[in-house]
Amino acid sequence: MISADLNLILPEILLSVYAMGALVGAVYTGKDNLAGTLVWTTSAVFVALAVWIASSGTGAQSGFGGLLVNDGFARFAKVVILGSAAAVLLMSEGYMQRRGLLRFEFPLLIALSAVGMMIMVSATNLMTLYMGLELQSLALYVVASLRRDSAKSTEAGMKYFVLGALSSGLLLYGASLIYGYTGTTAFDGIIAAAKHGEVGLGLLLGLVLLISGLAFKVSAVPFHMWTPDVYEGSPTPVTAFFATAPKVAAMAMFARVMFDAFGQAVSDWSQVVALLSLLSMFLGAIAAIGQRDIKRLMAYSSIAHMGYALMGLASGTELGVQAMLIYMAIYVTMNVGTFAFILSMERDGQPVTDIDSLGMYSTREPAKALAMLVLLFSLAGVPPLVGFFGKFYVLRAAYEGGLAWLAVAGVIASVIGAFYYLRIVFFMYFGEEKDEVLDKGKSPVLTGFLLVSAFLMVAGVVNLFGIEAPAAAAAASLLQ
Amino acid sequence: MIGLEHYLTVAAVLFVIGIFGLFLNRKNVIILLMSIELMLLAVNINLVAFSSGVVGHGDLTGQVFTLFVLTVAAAEAAIGLAILVCFFRNRGTIAVEDVNVMKG
Amino acid sequence: MTVFAFYLFAIGVIAGGLFTVISRNPVHSVLWLILAFISSSGLFVLLGAEFVAMLLIIVYVGAVAVLFLFVVMMLDVDFAELKAGMAQHMPLALLIGLVLLMQLAFAFGAWDASHMASDQLVNPIPGDIQNTAALGLILYDQYFLLFQLAGLILLVAMIGAIVLTLRHRQDIKRQDILAQMYRDPAEAMELKDIKPGQGL
Repeated sequence: MISADLNLILPEILLSVYAMGALVGAVYTGKDNLAGTLVWTTSAVFVALAVWIASSGTGAQSGFGGLLVNDGFARFAKVVILGSAAAVLLMSEGYMQRRGLLRFEFPLLIALSAVGMMIMVSATNLMTLYMGLELQSLALYVVASLRRDSAKSTEAGMKYFVLGALSSGLLLYGASLIYGYTGTTAFDGIIAAAKHGEVGLGLLLGLVLLISGLAFKVSAVPFHMWTPDVYEGSPTPVTAFFATAPKVAAMAMFARVMFDAFGQAVSDWSQVVALLSLLSMFLGAIAAIGQRDIKRLMAYSSIAHMGYALMGLASGTELGVQAMLIYMAIYVTMNVGTFAFILSMERDGQPVTDIDSLGMYSTREPAKALAMLVLLFSLAGVPPLVGFFGKFYVLRAAYEGGLAWLAVAGVIASVIGAFYYLRIVFFMYFGEEKDEVLDKGKSPVLTGFLLVSAFLMVAGVVNLFGIEAPAAAAAASLLQ
Repeated sequence: MIGLEHYLTVAAVLFVIGIFGLFLNRKNVIILLMSIELMLLAVNINLVAFSSGVVGHGDLTGQVFTLFVLTVAAAEAAIGLAILVCFFRNRGTIAVEDVNVMKG
Repeated sequence: MTVFAFYLFAIGVIAGGLFTVISRNPVHSVLWLILAFISSSGLFVLLGAEFVAMLLIIVYVGAVAVLFLFVVMMLDVDFAELKAGMAQHMPLALLIGLVLLMQLAFAFGAWDASHMASDQLVNPIPGDIQNTAALGLILYDQYFLLFQLAGLILLVAMIGAIVLTLRHRQDIKRQDILAQMYRDPAEAMELKDIKPGQGL
């Protein structure tokens, strides 16, 4: 009995054992000298686990008395999470090494937060969900303030912590009301009690508080306040990490709770989620226009993208979940490439995040400028790049789910949003030449990630690398 | 007679005090951390009240949940205070708002 | 008697909470927080959750509140200055608090659980064993996974606190016991035979 349960979470067990073993090993031997090696081994472990999970069986097995489930949806999310975490770790090594930030705890904290994310996406009980969420969040609070001698980084960590803890509080209070109403914390029990038309006032209040907590975690408007400050203040590799894996995990968890626990009461929450989606898309598009700092800009960009992903969720259909998963996978790939570029922006060895500094970048490094152009067009959703298909899927899902107004609003927001992406392109190709130019990128890893990600945006047009089928299977496993 | 609603009311008032404290003391991070502890305490009262008084003879799940919330809250306090100490070493103050390296 | 105890503890919880957030001196805040914790553990005893009640006292009053006190005392902060902004946030905070309270009151007029709730209970409280034993029976069995996750969370908290605050200061002298033990008179001392009148 217990061995079947343990088999279910074998990847998580291996990852945590690896993290603990590496921690002890590093403390007793090289300490921070081993950090570079640990980054590479941790990434290798992530990739190996991702491959293993992707190729491991089909179907859904529930374990630990219904505390968690290993189904297609969880596997899809885990593969995306592990893949993006590995990519971001590899990108961060050089940057952190040069600034003396690379401490051996960094890859291990990332590994432990990945364990938390894997638990989050497969949780089928409010308690498991909470524990996974906190394991992930606590590790992230620490890495946000990792540059502990910088006022900005510690302020970012502080803000992230206070708002994160507030959102956990809201989520928990909601969870306690749901428990009080339904008598259970298991999703299959909640769904039995929360049928449409029988949703009592207490349960409704619990649901609203729970959605608020979850919206905080995906940084949807109006719970987005922390995002720009944290993105700007944290060390850039940490920002890159925040923009990828945790977003996927939070979004997948959001979908899991909404469908597994409240799938019988879709009409009770779909309007709320649609509203979150609408506000996020517009605020993300409009507030980004005035930004001069590329990290702040990416924060607003991620808010807008979360709005689109929520649109898929709001439609409340299997197609919507599939669209959301495809959107998140594409979003993560684009962001890895974009952050590879941002990480390589340096002047005299110091990191630069001004957009102005990119003036006439294209004349100096045409290949990288072109790759960045492709990525930015893709982020904006310009056809025929892959980013366009992501938007197309969610818009179609919203339309077919009866939210035509939301789909129209999404198109308008994406036109507004295209402006600030194109402004960066403008700076790169037609901007003013600065006297102090950016250094030539020296890191082959960053250039590699940038070029590969841009290439994927073009090459994926053919069939999206067949991501459609697994996403459909994942969505089907969630909604069965 | 004291019923479930009485306990829920205490918890609700405490939760609201916690949120009230967050908005009232926006500068003072130590009080912010204490407000968060109050919110979690309110959640715990809710959970224990439901666990002993939902229906019939009650249910232990809520108490188990409370145990985990307690554990996590302790860990959260430790991390929060560690970040606070770092912040103080850099700034010489614990006010989040007035220095504003970043606007927001 | 129960009614009296309930109101005593309830007032303790609410007064403790309120003064925690409005008190002018953070040391007083921590002490009010301790009052809130102790009173709520009284509420837990009334509800029949003795183990959680004792845990609250041990973990919160014994560890967390002391940690808070320690940090308040360690950081030399000018708190009078921090309090200056409080009056200006008061209207907004009061408004938000009142609106939220009204919403909660609306929902709790009388708590009505789902009619299915009684059938869904996973762990009905057993009548024949004590609270602590009953919790132990399910905590290490049914909730084994969560117990392990709680361990990981505490590990992360430990790593985090060390990563953020540990500084190896070079300018102070340290005692290295192992090095002391391995000292050997043969290496530690060099005997010189100095001839009278010649010096070194």
